[in-house]
Amino acid sequence: MQKHITQQNLNTLLDTLIKEGKRVVAPRLNAGTPLYEPLTSSAEMITDQLPKRSGKEAFFPLCEDIMSYEKEGQQIKLTDIDPARFPETVLVGVRPCDAAAIPVLDAVFSWDYKDEFFLERRNKTTVVGVACTTADDACFCTAVGLSPSDTKGSDLFLTPLEGGGYHCETQSEKGEALINSHQELFSEPNGSKTVPLARPQTEKFDLEKVKKWLDEHFEDPAWDSIATRCVGCGACAFVCPACHCFDIVDEGTEKSGKRRKNWDACGFWKFTHHASGHNPRDGQPKRYRNRIMHKFKYYDDKFGQTLCTGCGRCIRLCPVGIDIAQIVEELNKK
Amino acid sequence: MTQAIDTTIYAAVSEAIQGEAQRILSAGEVTAIVGYATARRKGSAQPIVITNADDAQKLIFTPACVNNLAVYLTKAKKEIPKQGKIGIVVKGCDLKALAGLMGESQLKREQLYLIGVPCAGVLASTIQPDTQLTADTIAPKCTECDAHLPQGCDFVPAQTPVTPELEKKYAAEIARLEALTPKERWAYWKEQFSKCIKCYACRQVCPFCFCEQCLCDRNKPQMVDTTPRPAGNTAWHIVRAMHLAGRCAGCAECERVCPMDIPLNLLNRKMAKELKELYDYEAGFQVNENGPLNSYTEKDDQSFIK
Repeated sequence: MQKHITQQNLNTLLDTLIKEGKRVVAPRLNAGTPLYEPLTSSAEMITDQLPKRSGKEAFFPLCEDIMSYEKEGQQIKLTDIDPARFPETVLVGVRPCDAAAIPVLDAVFSWDYKDEFFLERRNKTTVVGVACTTADDACFCTAVGLSPSDTKGSDLFLTPLEGGGYHCETQSEKGEALINSHQELFSEPNGSKTVPLARPQTEKFDLEKVKKWLDEHFEDPAWDSIATRCVGCGACAFVCPACHCFDIVDEGTEKSGKRRKNWDACGFWKFTHHASGHNPRDGQPKRYRNRIMHKFKYYDDKFGQTLCTGCGRCIRLCPVGIDIAQIVEELNKK
Repeated sequence: MTQAIDTTIYAAVSEAIQGEAQRILSAGEVTAIVGYATARRKGSAQPIVITNADDAQKLIFTPACVNNLAVYLTKAKKEIPKQGKIGIVVKGCDLKALAGLMGESQLKREQLYLIGVPCAGVLASTIQPDTQLTADTIAPKCTECDAHLPQGCDFVPAQTPVTPELEKKYAAEIARLEALTPKERWAYWKEQFSKCIKCYACRQVCPFCFCEQCLCDRNKPQMVDTTPRPAGNTAWHIVRAMHLAGRCAGCAECERVCPMDIPLNLLNRKMAKELKELYDYEAGFQVNENGPLNSYTEKDDQSFIK
């Protein structure tokens, strides 16, 4: 289904959804930092900046309670979190690099174990993607087979038009349902030209070739030269739309507390630290190797997909300038 | 109009660094040099470790050379070769961190070959690396710099940086925060800490965070909540600020790397201000083995004993 919506009607749509009690998550500023967060009004939405963190947290929050406990005398009471209470959500203004990561994550969260926290939120969320009009030299979606107009992961896809408003194209039943529920705000496409889209300046990687090299080079001197300067923080993983490792911890007192799930990162020394004291990944090159392997080999082996959408966040934010696009480009030439 | 900052000397500085690096590696005076090299993105730079004299030509100095490379010489980051003398390219702010590390017995002066950089400033973290250095794009720390010309190095290129007086960004912001009520100030920091994602980039780039196991990574007992929630975030940032009081030399790496834009160096600058008032202490180029909070004298402020 193809439609047109004006900016004003899009704002009305978001405000109406908020009034209906839906959680509307979109890029907004939090103390000056652009993040995907629940809106209280459409006026908070920003469209000119890529949020510092990706859209994955609409399904996979930075930290969430998964259980609580209370102890009274010898009695211990455990209370599960009821995912049925997660709110209906509309995730709006998602860049193609963020939207494309969502179906990639579906694979791991619905594999041998069905992660009901992720999946329940996923079922209840309608993703409204928007074509991307700005790229910098850290962007490389086109190198990993995506593009600024890629609709992957979106239920409804918006393309900004010259003179304002958006061309709307449904990508799923959820997208159609969203339009049908507020038909009066949409009109027929008016033939306006789309604004020029972003053009990332990286060449397409031959991901099969990269994977083949990775298949054969678990041990290679290249890892040392790639990651000697890595300082071992979790910034790259935490801003990544596709990284999904988490840790589970209990926090509270002897009497009561919560079991919590929070993001973890393979760059951390602690990530593979065994109770015995042994650490099989005993240096940053080995940890960084895991990052590349997981994205361009292991995830492909398991799910036939690449765990990177080329958003460029890790490149922009790495404290020591590690550039994954350059690394993969070099592996591509080997 | 925005005031441009003259960085024309950086080309000659880069050339001088290359020449010296080539010489000391060829002569076997050092086994490795930690410096900066060009990276893929336009105008960008990244840390590099070279061990071969032929690679000396890779070394550069530009406004994008933001990192404090001293972090690579600390115990917590062990990948740099440990044998022999190491060369390192240092700006004045970075040199203060090295002096601090020597004072804390983490490094020995004779193990290092210091290549000092005459520095007019580097770019703020929020700025694209190919941008011209101006009063607006310069890193906040550079607006308060008193270390444009490092002292006590083994080699410093002959150029003299032109360093115009700039509006002191931290002093202004600290004054603004000090004028708030405690409640307002708490609200400010609560909002800032709420953005923390516990990626520990601030810790990992800090030259003074050299504990081989951080208190925050210990779980027997769990001293600090690990989850990125108010309790754990606040505890972490207060632990960090207090542990750096009297040690932090102001390189502002913590703030530069924070992916969530938390103004962490404000905490460090405020601590430095307190240390100056209480102990007349300031981090400088001198190696001081008796840091203000590591030593006791009868003249020390006792007013906290009530």
